[in-house]
Formats: sequence, C-alpha cells, structure tokens
Amino acid sequence: MASTASGNPLRDPRDRRLPRLPDNSALVVFGATGDLARKKLIPAVYDLANRGLLPPGFVLVGFARRDWSDEDFAAFAREAAERGARTPFREDTWERLASSVRFRSGSFSDDAAFDGLVKLLADLESSHGVPGNAAFYLSIPPPAFPVVLKQMQRTGLASNEAAGGWRRVVIEKPFGNDLETARQLNSLVDDVFTPDDVFRIDHYLGKETVQNLFALRFANMLFEPIWNSHFVDSVQITMAEDVGIGTRAGFYDETGAARDVLQNHLLQLLALTAMEEPVSLGAEAIRTEKLKVLRAVSLPEDFATYAVRGQYSQGWLAGERVRGYLEEADIPAASATETFVAVRLGVQTRRWAGVPFYLRTGKRLPRRVTEIAITFTKAPHLPFDATDTTELGNNQLVIRVQPDEGVTLRFGSKVPGSSMEVRDVAMDFLFGEAFTEALPEAYERLILDVLLGDATLFPNNAEVEESWRIIDPLEDFWQSTTPHAYRAGTWGPAAADDMLSRDGRRWRRP
Amino acid sequence: MTTLWDTTGSAVVKALSAERRAAGALAFGLALTLVVVVDEQHVSQAESAAMAASAAHPCRLLIVVRRQIDAPHPRLDAEVSIGGRLGPGEAVVMRMSGRLALHSESVVLPLLAPDAPVVTWWYDAPPEKIAHDPLGVFADRRVTGTYAAPDPLAALLQRAEDFVPGDTDLAWTRISGWRTLLAAAFDQVTEPAGPATVVSEPNNPSARLFAGWLQAKLRVPVTITDAPGRKGIQSVQVAVGDGEVTLARTDSRSAGITRTGYPTRVLPLPERGLGDLLAEELRRLDDDYVYAEALSAWSGVPHLNRRPRHRDHIWRDPALEQPAAAMAAITTTPAAAPPATPAAPVTPAAPVTPAAPAPNPTTPPAAS
Repeated sequence: MASTASGNPLRDPRDRRLPRLPDNSALVVFGATGDLARKKLIPAVYDLANRGLLPPGFVLVGFARRDWSDEDFAAFAREAAERGARTPFREDTWERLASSVRFRSGSFSDDAAFDGLVKLLADLESSHGVPGNAAFYLSIPPPAFPVVLKQMQRTGLASNEAAGGWRRVVIEKPFGNDLETARQLNSLVDDVFTPDDVFRIDHYLGKETVQNLFALRFANMLFEPIWNSHFVDSVQITMAEDVGIGTRAGFYDETGAARDVLQNHLLQLLALTAMEEPVSLGAEAIRTEKLKVLRAVSLPEDFATYAVRGQYSQGWLAGERVRGYLEEADIPAASATETFVAVRLGVQTRRWAGVPFYLRTGKRLPRRVTEIAITFTKAPHLPFDATDTTELGNNQLVIRVQPDEGVTLRFGSKVPGSSMEVRDVAMDFLFGEAFTEALPEAYERLILDVLLGDATLFPNNAEVEESWRIIDPLEDFWQSTTPHAYRAGTWGPAAADDMLSRDGRRWRRP
Repeated sequence: MTTLWDTTGSAVVKALSAERRAAGALAFGLALTLVVVVDEQHVSQAESAAMAASAAHPCRLLIVVRRQIDAPHPRLDAEVSIGGRLGPGEAVVMRMSGRLALHSESVVLPLLAPDAPVVTWWYDAPPEKIAHDPLGVFADRRVTGTYAAPDPLAALLQRAEDFVPGDTDLAWTRISGWRTLLAAAFDQVTEPAGPATVVSEPNNPSARLFAGWLQAKLRVPVTITDAPGRKGIQSVQVAVGDGEVTLARTDSRSAGITRTGYPTRVLPLPERGLGDLLAEELRRLDDDYVYAEALSAWSGVPHLNRRPRHRDHIWRDPALEQPAAAMAAITTTPAAAPPATPAAPVTPAAPVTPAAPAPNPTTPPAAS
C-alpha cells in the first residue's frame, strides 16, 4: 500500500485529486494593518480558504500597534478580502474564517503584548486543535526586525521545542542593504529560528510562469540541447513598471531600483534561466544549482558603459502627464537615487561563457511587463539571396512572466507569394488558453508553501548574500555618479540603448 | 455561428475551419477534445455543464445527439460556433438520426483536435459496455455518470465489470471534497483506524465508492447506512483508537469535522454542480488508480488496475436485437449477475468504419 511518510493511510501519491492541506496552524501577521497585509496577505488567505486549501484548524492572528479588538480586525480583514480577493466573495467562507481571526495590539517593544501572544497561541491548542504550529509573517519595516526577533527569542515564540509544533518565520525583502547588513540580518534571524524555518519571500518565484521555467527546461527535449552558448546569443531579462514610486518615497529614495529589484527578482530570474538541471525538484537541490549560478555571475569590466542608471523626469505616460522623480513628494531635490538600472552580466561556466545577460528594470516605463527573452544565434549559413532575408531576425524564445503569462517562439517563415522572402513570425502559447483554472496569486502559493513547510520557492541566506556580492561593487561605483535622466513613458535613458548597440544588439521592445 | 441542416461531415469540418479563421483562432492552444454524448431531452443541461467545464479547460467541445435510430433516412444537422452561446471555445453540436446514429464516429473523428487527448462523457446512463460505443473506444479518458442510470448500483457494478484503466465516474468525482477533508483529519491521527460507517441516501453510488475507498486504504470493515431525506452522502464515521473521527455535512456548503476530545471544526464542502465535476475530470487525464482500487474493493471485482488499457469496438446493432432489449441501453439486471454478452450477434468488430463522411449513406451494410 502506497502511503506517505506521514503514515496517513488515506494519502496516496497516485491520488491526484486530493490536495495536500497544511497541519492545523496559526498564521501570525506582524504589521497586520499595513499595506501588504491589506492588499496581498489577507486576500490570499481568504482565497486559500475559499479554495478549501486551509487546514481544519487554521487561525489568523493580527499583531499591530492599533488598539483593536478581534472584531475590529475581522472587519478590517473582511474589507481587505472583499476588495483584494481573486475568487468571489462568499459570506459563509468568510464567516468560517472570521471565527478564527484574532488580534493582539501592542508595540514591538511591549513585553506584555508578546507574553499575551504566547498565551494566545498556547490557548489555540484547546480551542482550535492547533498543536503549537505557527508561522510568523514579518510584514514590518526592516529596522523593526531586531526588536521583534529579540522579543520572540525572549518569549520562546520561535522555539520549536517550547511550542511543541513547528515555528516558522517569513520575511520580505529588502534582505539587508548590502552584503554586510544582509549578513547581520541573516545571522540574527538564523539565531532566533533554525535556518530551515526561515522563509524569505521573493514573490516572483511564486508566479506560475516562473515555475513553468522548470517544466519548460527540464521536462522537454526541445529546449535544453540548445540552452547554451553554442546556440544562445544573449539573454535579456526585463522587469518594467509603469507606476512611479507611489507612497514609498522615503524607503525608495534610500534603496533605488538596483537594491529594490535587481538584487532579488532579476537575479533570481537569471539564476533560474541559467541554472543546471537540479538532481531533483526538492528545495535543497534547486537551491544548490541556483547558488552555483549566482557564484558564477561576473560583472562587466567597464562599469561606466555596462552598468547604466537612470532617473525618470517628467513626461507623458498612457495619456497623462506625470511628474519627474525629483518632483515627487518627499524626494530631496538633489536625489541621486536611480529609478532605472540596466546591467550586462556574464555567467562564467562552460555552458554560458561569452553569453551576455542583459538585465533591466525601471519605473515609469511605457507598460508593466516582466519577461525573459532568449535570443539565439543566427544560422551560420543562409542559402538565400541576401535580399530574401532582410526581415529575418534572430530566433527568440520569450517567457512572459506577466502579463499575458505564456511563451512566445519567434522564427522565420516564408511570406506567401511568388518570391522567396523570409520574415519573423511568432508562435504563441498563452497559459489562459491551454490551461485550466485562473492562475493563483503568487502570495497564495507562497503562504500555502510556508504552512506546508516546502521551501522550494524561497531563496535561502546563501543566495541572498551571493546576490549582494554582485550588487555591492556596482553600488560602490554608482556612489560617485549621477543617474542619466529619461523621460517618463520611454524605455529608459539613451545610455542603456547605447550599451546594447555597442555590442551590436538592441533591446527587445516587450 | 453556422447552422447546417441535413448536412455532411465534411461540410461540418469546413464550417469549423471557416469559423476558426473568422475568429482569428488559428493559434488557439487546444489542450483536448471533449465529446459529450447526450439524449435530445437533456441537451441543454449537458451543454451548460460542458460550457462551465470548458471555461476552465479550453477545449474543443463536440456534442453528439443520437436519435431516432429507426428513422428511414440518415440525417445530420450541425451547429458550429466559436465564442458563441457555448462559451468562448470551439463547439459543435451534432444531431444524428437514422442509421448514421450508429456511425457517429464517422462525423466525429475528423473533428478531433490533432493529437490532443479525447475525453468522452455520457451525460445519460452509461452504456452497458463502452466497447459498444465507438465514441468511447477512441477516447483516452471515459467519464460516465452512474447516478443517471435507472438503477445506479447495478450500473456501478457494471462499470466494474466493464472497467478499463482510463474509465472514471462522476459519482467518484463527487466525493473528492469529502475525501480531502477526511484525509486532512487523518493527518493528525496516529492511532490505527477501526470500523467505518458511511451514511447516505439509499442507492447512492458515491457512498459505495467512498466505502470502497475506505476499505481499500484503511483495511477496515465499512458499513453503508441508508438514511432517506437529504440527498447524497450525509456523514462518514471512522473509529480511531478509543474515539472516532466524524465528518458530517452541516448544509449545502459546509461540513463539520469532529474528533473525540477536540472541538468541531466547520469547513467548506460545497455541493458541486455538473460543470465543476466535469472540470475536475478534465484537470487530470492520466488513469485514476485510486478510483479503480475503490471500485474494485466495493464491487469485489479484482485487479481492475491490471486490465489492458485497450478496448476493441464491438459492433452492436439495436435493430437486430429483440425490440425490448434494444430499448434498454443499460439494463437493470440484478447486481450479482452482470449480463453475459447478449444473445444478439456480436461479430468481432469490423474496424470502425473509416471516416467516410456519410452524407447519404446508402443503407450501411447490415452486418458491419
């Protein structure tokens, strides 16, 4: 009889109809009244409940400074779920969830509040059958981390043994500001929790399309043989946003695009694109391969040319006039923080030697799009007249991470007619068409994985530190420079285009 | 939308490709073809269920209505639509009468999406032997609904007799939610399980499959208790150590899990419509071993999973059979004795008639 390691006789790996539900557990959200909780976490929890993926005993605990009762928080959560949930709002789903919503008010330095939280979690055993399992989601500004972690250490909240179940912690980027601060944060977190119980969220890894990279590369015969420097000319990874900095002025001005996006999302996408085949799809095996790639990443020799920063100035975007970065509220008039960054990286392995990886990200670009474009080399010989193939470009495989999740393959095809004329055409695969259900939100998947204890989609501290090793020299160089200005609503500064044209290439227009 | 009266199979193929072109749909990713077999009086229910399922799994939807097999002249009427009243995908509704109804595969085969899996679903009572229906023979996955049979339990037993890997029944799909919750409850259980009870309305095939599943997985005696009143399964109880785990429906959307010594937890357990059930069936196109195990445990028919995956079409002409027998596609034979091959002629199938679209088939050869 096939049964799982847990020994539950009703579980059968061949029984694909039964989703795996997490153990009875509590999700404790610090900063429960904040933007992330309201827009993403609470709606995701509701969606999971609505899809029947939460365990029989599940409790959502909010912790924040506001002086709220359980009911106040439940009302707040209800509004967040009604607004933000992907699945239709159902009264009875909500009522069930609302009966398991708790709130503790207190500041992070308030010992009594944390002692109360310990008691609350202990009481859940008898009221909800939760045997000490809890995941702590730190949806709080980084400076508050040490205080909260110290409190958890003091009260034994973080201890698996003391709790009699598992205790996990979820932290959001930024994971530090540079290698030094990242190390401090990592040692602090790993000190309080065991390293296996720390989940670092990079929500890009929760996206279906990113996970599809594994399927595309390792389940098919077609792509892997040409996934190397013999056939790949270059790789472009783009994450463009049309929005500005919104209300995050203070945070953003200290951080900038490189730390905010390049260090985590773009380098993770690069790692997944360039990694070798893992020996299994287990968390450890995948992290091992990702880490190998990140260690092999090399910086350009000439930073001035191949590491370009930009800052948006006022312009027109989608039919509206938008302000420049320096005119945004709470931004110092002389700020040299970048809102756009483009770099050329290399991966020093046999597979990728000589293939440039162009990474770019920016705000106030014409549209919101994230994609990975693999450009293949040209055919070594074309038995056509030169004029026949003037409109033939390089073959290209594009993984559209968002929006229009899917894959595009571009190749040459004959234009119908009496003459031989070859032109690029695109073959499109759209997730929404070929597949099934509406794609779940990244946070749904990631919260579920945390409760299940599956760390596959979470970068570990070694990856985070390795990413800072890549970013730190760039930041040092940029200290003494000012970013190039680019008009809002364009695809970045001219210097970024020059960077590619110097290599005989050009940016793909996503 | 194109409507074709008294038409031919090739005209339907042409109409479909014209519609595809007009819809700009040539690049549509087609993951599968869903063939729905339904009687005239249930067409609209079958259509709405198939539409709901195809919204979740874009597919080519082929609805086949066979009627008036004794009509003197074969006739095909068809309706072809893309993004019309049958949802955003491609859909063809075909009504076949006269002898053509016995050769519906001749119209359906050329309409299957190239090299994509085929799922055939019988909306009404399942055929006695799937091998009798060519629309089931070429399908990769066959979905029946035993609860639509006049005697659901006999039909379920017949499903076991006739089973081939790749068959499944919506009575099984109906209990996925129940099984999920019970399995989750058992994640917390360490003691061995004892006898179990399933309480349901009388003659409910889902309850039998549930019992079969528990029997196969827990290796404990399972009792099925009939409780008239509420539709479907009402509760499941499994003894565990000194206490028990009970899963009982509280209303049409939820159920409560109680374990002795712990508070009751109420969890979502929606009663699902046909469209939802069908969508679940389309999600996985591989063989369902666990269903075969459960069916085998309940029916006592052993080794269902070891049967060969292949079926050969068995030609069967209702016109040549006893008039009474011809009417009953699924017989209500006493459960213990599944009908042996009927006395009617069972010639080893002349291979499925090739896709010669039969516009005005001069009466097909009597024996073929």
